[in-house]
Amino acid sequence: MLAARFELGAGWVWATLLGLALVGAVVLTARELRQASGIARERRLALLALRSVTALLTFLVATQPRWLERRVEEIEGRLAVLVDDSRSLRVADGERSRADAARALVERWQERGTPGVAAFRFGSELRAASLGEIAAGVPARDDETRIVHALRELATGEGSEDLGAIVLVTDGAESDRAAPVLETAGVKVHAVALGGDVPLVDDAIAELEADPVAFLRQEAEVRVVVRALRATGGAAQIPVTLWEGEQVVREALVDVPAGGEAEVTIPFSPRRLGRAVYRVTIPVPSDDAVPANNERAFLVRVTRDKLRVLLVAGRPSWDVRFLRAFLKRDPGTDLISFFILRTTSDLTLAAPDELALIPFPTDELFREHLGSFDVLLFQNFDYGPYQMAAYLPRIREYVERGGAFAMIGGERSFGSGGYAGTPVADVLPVSLPRAEASEATLVREGSFRPVVEPELVRHPLVALRREPAASFAAWARLAPLEGTNRFEGLREGARVLLARPGRRGKREPLLVTGRFGEGRVLCFATDTSWRWGLTTGGLQGDASAFERFWDRAVRWLARDPALEPTRLTTDRERYGPEGRVRVVGTVADARYRPIAGEAVRVRLLDATGTELGARTVQTDREGGLEAALEGPAEPGAYRVVVERPGEEGDALGEEGFVVELGGDELADPRPRPERLRALAEGTGGRFVARAEDAPSLDAFDATRSRVQGVRERAPFASPFAVGWLVALLIVEWALRRRWGRR
Amino acid sequence: MAPRLPVVIALSLASAAVFGAPVGVLALGEGTRVEVRGIVIDGLPEPRPSARRRLAWEVRKRTSIETRLRPGRARLDDPSIFETPLLYLAGDRAFEPLSEAEVVGLRRFVEFGGFVLVDDASGGSAEGFDASVRRLVGRAFPDERLAPLPRDHTVFRSFFLLERPVGRVRGGRDVEGVLRGNRVGLVYSRHDLGGAWARDNLGTWQHTVTPGGERQRELAIRLGVNLVMYALCLDYKDDQVHAPFIMRRRAGTP
Repeated sequence: MLAARFELGAGWVWATLLGLALVGAVVLTARELRQASGIARERRLALLALRSVTALLTFLVATQPRWLERRVEEIEGRLAVLVDDSRSLRVADGERSRADAARALVERWQERGTPGVAAFRFGSELRAASLGEIAAGVPARDDETRIVHALRELATGEGSEDLGAIVLVTDGAESDRAAPVLETAGVKVHAVALGGDVPLVDDAIAELEADPVAFLRQEAEVRVVVRALRATGGAAQIPVTLWEGEQVVREALVDVPAGGEAEVTIPFSPRRLGRAVYRVTIPVPSDDAVPANNERAFLVRVTRDKLRVLLVAGRPSWDVRFLRAFLKRDPGTDLISFFILRTTSDLTLAAPDELALIPFPTDELFREHLGSFDVLLFQNFDYGPYQMAAYLPRIREYVERGGAFAMIGGERSFGSGGYAGTPVADVLPVSLPRAEASEATLVREGSFRPVVEPELVRHPLVALRREPAASFAAWARLAPLEGTNRFEGLREGARVLLARPGRRGKREPLLVTGRFGEGRVLCFATDTSWRWGLTTGGLQGDASAFERFWDRAVRWLARDPALEPTRLTTDRERYGPEGRVRVVGTVADARYRPIAGEAVRVRLLDATGTELGARTVQTDREGGLEAALEGPAEPGAYRVVVERPGEEGDALGEEGFVVELGGDELADPRPRPERLRALAEGTGGRFVARAEDAPSLDAFDATRSRVQGVRERAPFASPFAVGWLVALLIVEWALRRRWGRR
Repeated sequence: MAPRLPVVIALSLASAAVFGAPVGVLALGEGTRVEVRGIVIDGLPEPRPSARRRLAWEVRKRTSIETRLRPGRARLDDPSIFETPLLYLAGDRAFEPLSEAEVVGLRRFVEFGGFVLVDDASGGSAEGFDASVRRLVGRAFPDERLAPLPRDHTVFRSFFLLERPVGRVRGGRDVEGVLRGNRVGLVYSRHDLGGAWARDNLGTWQHTVTPGGERQRELAIRLGVNLVMYALCLDYKDDQVHAPFIMRRRAGTP
């Protein structure tokens, strides 16, 4: 069979504009010649004819018309039935749901016998099934309706060579708004529409958009689009309510036109750090067909806009100067610093009003505002002279509840700062010598180059490079440090990241991390890290190690998610009931070593920590993980955690999500028969507006059109056409000159 | 956050009796202490050899900063300049243009966070040293130039509240500086600060301070302390918590 088609290479719009311009040029020429005197009529007609021919040739050369002849072969193929299994099929447009209509239709087809017919379900993905299974029930559980995706996969995927046509049974409520153009490679698509015959009555939250991250006590926004599809009446005023738990946060009224949509933006200010689940609701009218889409939920991770860091230094020193300058420069840090500039043994020889000194506000810092800081840094600071003993239990409590604390070395830190036996010593991952101990027990002088503990070389605090070998080399190039505080030993859970080499291969802890309660703790037993800035920078031209180290240290203390060993993400933040939760990520142990090629357990937990499901999966060679879990049925906040088998309760990492009753799938459950009609007609298929009217399967044409070859004729694409055009222009110009025209 | 006065205060004189801190050691080594290292320039003798030692002593006596009482000296092309972030250059005469390596050393030192105090020991009475310093600064920092520091700059309130700079001579009302980002990387004084600080081994002041006598000497020492404090704390005194206290005291200062 031959199928012929005429095309314009330049496009119809451009061709029309050019045509009009050329016609105008010919008309102007005719007027000019008519008004001209002293030229014979025959010559006028000749010039006009020449101009007309030139214009026509210009048009043809510019627009490049071509004739395409396709040799098409019609082949009898198999028939496949593709049935929508998304949640929008649960909607009842009349007395029965769309899923029931689909099930009844497939049951009818099956009863009449369907030899050779393949059956598939689709929603978010294509799944093979049998007509018998579909006839037994359409569960309608998928959170998406990806029609084009499913058709394309079926028509062009593996085993599609002998496929002739697809009978698509769906409501047409496509989820993928940017669905690509359907290419079925000649496979016809016959569409049977569900739910298109009864008007839908439904007030719905059509869209909900909120930032996944918000800042504590700063205004955030959620954008809500409300749709009102009602049987009667005009515009409606609908209250939109934002909830946090059972508490109403804010309410707004939105005027929604009849059958249309309206948008409202609701501001809110998170009051607590961590994950917060908010709900947005609108009232449910008595005749609402889809009550589930009158409520949506969203998850917000509430953080601070800036890390709040309190730096207390026992005296100005070069280490204090470089660390403060770095933290002050960092736009992501809100730094409050206090330096002890003078002790009582210092003689200023000046009256108080000649000094720029202020009181050390211990009570305000350590009683009133301690909890507002993300990180507390004691840098060469001894508490004794400032009557701070009463505040030390508060510091322990602050860390236990999730605060971060670092003690940085110096002669006023650790044991020589008098911290042994204090509540602050309780939170440290090291045990301290008492202040009365000998100087050699408290500190060790001398220059040294710290060494990275090989076990922890991937830890973000010491991973100067991605590859361990490069990190070791980078550490070896840094300027040496001088002097360290000494510890009596390490506590349980302590991790020594850097050490000072000692005699006979013995190493002394230099950088030690640990946990106390919910908080993180870091001990850094030197006050010369500034040498990684000035000294290394001056000698090697690169001072980045200092800033990198302290940037990582502060962010690690503040639990920056980007520095966690295990990172997980779910494919969505919001799911419908019983959706499929896909989890991907990389898994590493607390020492940041990839857990590669091992079985790990992925568990689904509710807000109370109760397990709702679990899967054991194998990680890949780099610790990569992929898993899919059946989602919960009840709306609410949930999380997936990854653990090593046998280590339940000690999660390597976690990620949260919410389950909504409606979700994106039910946000717009309107059937789209017109779209299905266009889709069927575009592939040469048949459109059936109601499931009840669908014929038996053998009535659907299963012949497939295959293009055997294409012949193209484009007579004006040759250089000769351009040559003719030039020749005509020259002849016209020459004749006009000869006959006295310009 | 406005600090409450009745709190336990560490720095006020009222807290003088409260102590007994269990400080077992003085430092983690001599290298961790603050050193006022001198810059060696060929053909330029150090005019006040005891000045840096005296300044270190005054800083240790008056503040909580631990200093090295026997500071060393180094050329600008010596890598050891990067081992301490504070350099001091004093002179009373012109010096030959420095080598390119020395100029690069100075530039790198300041760019990576160091602080340089330049002191004209002539007290502004001779132009040779001044011209040499300006030439050196122009070569080391071609994009910056020496500019007077404003009267409210942190240098004048980093520890003591000062109205103006003075040294062995009263001199001009300004000190000049080279800005690197939001900090001053080099301060240039023409007041002969070292002349006011210098003492002989018996503790006798080596130079007469004019016209203000011993009060002026005291203010010159305070400026030296402030400069060292600035090198260590930078704009710490610009932090919001300090402002109301300093404003109140400034208001009471004649």
